[in-house]
Amino acid sequence: MDKSTVSRLIGVGAVAAIASTTLWLPEYYLGILIKTLIFIALALAWNIVGGIGGQLSLGHSVFIGLGALLPAALSLKMGVNVWLGIAAAAALSAAIGAAMAWITFRFRLGHLYFALVTLAFGELGRIIVISTDFLGGASGLLLPREPADFLNFSFETSSQYLLLALGLVVVAFATTDWIIHSKLGYRLRAIRNNEDAAQAVGINLLKSKSVAMILSAIFTSLAGSVFARYNGFVDPEFFAAPMIIVTIILFTAIGGVGTLWGPVLGVAVFFPLGEILRGSVSTAVPGLHFVIFGVVLVAVIRLIPSGFVGFVNRLRMGPHIGGARSAFERRGRLVVREPSRGASSNPGLTST
Amino acid sequence: MVGSSYGLIGLSLGLVYSVSGITNFSQGDFLVLCMFGAYSLFSLFGLDGYLSVFITAPVLIVLTILIYKYLIQPISGQQLMVIQLTLGLMFIVQNVLLMIYGGNYQRVPSILDTDVVVIGDILVIQTSLIVAFFVTWAIASILFLVLNYTDFGRTVRAVHQNARAAALQGINVRFTQLVVFSMSAALLGIAAALLLPSKPLHPADGLHYTVVGLMPFVLGGMSNFLGILIGGLLIGTAESIGSFYLNGAMGFALPYIIFIGILVFRPQGLFGSR
Repeated sequence: MDKSTVSRLIGVGAVAAIASTTLWLPEYYLGILIKTLIFIALALAWNIVGGIGGQLSLGHSVFIGLGALLPAALSLKMGVNVWLGIAAAAALSAAIGAAMAWITFRFRLGHLYFALVTLAFGELGRIIVISTDFLGGASGLLLPREPADFLNFSFETSSQYLLLALGLVVVAFATTDWIIHSKLGYRLRAIRNNEDAAQAVGINLLKSKSVAMILSAIFTSLAGSVFARYNGFVDPEFFAAPMIIVTIILFTAIGGVGTLWGPVLGVAVFFPLGEILRGSVSTAVPGLHFVIFGVVLVAVIRLIPSGFVGFVNRLRMGPHIGGARSAFERRGRLVVREPSRGASSNPGLTST
Repeated sequence: MVGSSYGLIGLSLGLVYSVSGITNFSQGDFLVLCMFGAYSLFSLFGLDGYLSVFITAPVLIVLTILIYKYLIQPISGQQLMVIQLTLGLMFIVQNVLLMIYGGNYQRVPSILDTDVVVIGDILVIQTSLIVAFFVTWAIASILFLVLNYTDFGRTVRAVHQNARAAALQGINVRFTQLVVFSMSAALLGIAAALLLPSKPLHPADGLHYTVVGLMPFVLGGMSNFLGILIGGLLIGTAESIGSFYLNGAMGFALPYIIFIGILVFRPQGLFGSR
């Protein structure tokens, strides 16, 4: 058996194992598992732009919020079918994603500028949501639990939601796998490593970035819809605030940004841990589990900057193949960066 | 008028960026940290919000130096890593505050609390905002003088223009960066004191202040300090106008819409150059 068959078998086994939990796992843990799966889907979606493309978007909360709130609002207030609402939210997210890519593309100060501008988008989205009555305003929307009705995107038991979330993760994972091995993936990685060089070899920056952003926005919006439907209550300060995407970025960073398994591992290990910690510690001291999480994260970034996946790769293949990143890392210590020059905003250029 | 304090936050971002190419996304949370420090000083010793800056700012400076020296400078070559790290710091600060102070809104009373100045018949302005305005410009002027006319200022500008060349001239780049980082922390502490009388405190507000500070920072062209201050005034004015004259979503969103609108036409910011 070659390597890809093995990993495919592992994947199928994992999916089957997770699907079987619907039969034996208690309800409480089933709930955590569903949320974990949804967060894995969100992290995978973000990873398309933020990881593979190196465009650290802080504006994805807009897409989550849209996916969560728009179908809910449309169906509660106007009686529109939820599937239509989900499609509308996904389409709108794609359009906004393309707009973000276009605006930030026009002045390339590199990754930093992208992060700053998308953060402003995220905050704008939060403000629009909490001050628009149609979208539930600051008090949010309550989605009543209805009897299972596939045509109305409504499910009754946790098992059904688990299978739904699992399906979403599988699709997002397969898409990520496809992107990484497609031409688009090579283009995106070239952009991540050195934007100017990527352009010089004839990569259409705007097109690649927009396509990645659109794909990512659609998946994020879909995951948002599923999340809202499962959660039942849509709190705008949670679903539409940039903090949610910051959490997802941090999970991904722990797992390994830009890799296929990084987002999956980061969330799969830390999200359930956080939930269980929240259940036990945070009743006494609210917020403590987030502090622990933050400290772990800072430690991971300083000690193994390429995340779990990079760490494992380096163990397996020896120190010099631990990804292109580790080479930058070692050189980064000696480099005195030159700020405020457009071209030098990329570490790859200055460290040569 | 409140915009001048926003400009100050933007300026503290700009200072750090200009010598190191780093942006600290937890800046707003450190600002909120300072504000809560002032709150503690008030509730423990009855210290006035303005006076507490003499304690909170030095503490913040020490904290900043430790963070930059041991966490950020070793990975300063990699922007993405630094952004992730500062996002992690944001998480820590915000939740530590939540642990200590809980999730309720707090206020720090000040001697200027309810004072207003009446100009003519229609203009009524909170005194605290006028104080904020003049303090901001006074500090900005001192900063310009220092940067333009002292040896230290020349050093900073040399690092800003070309760090490697500066290093070859015998300038200790790391040390200069640390000094500038602590200047930025001092600005942040002052901004916290100035915002204190007019804003309620909440541990989760940090990200909002980061955004509010980064808009002037980007509009001002990221390292043009006068541009950043003017950008701050613009954003603050847009915020006031939006909340007074427009209703609902449009009013609150006005500063952001103006920000994005400007970027569509001038992606390099109002005062930046390509």
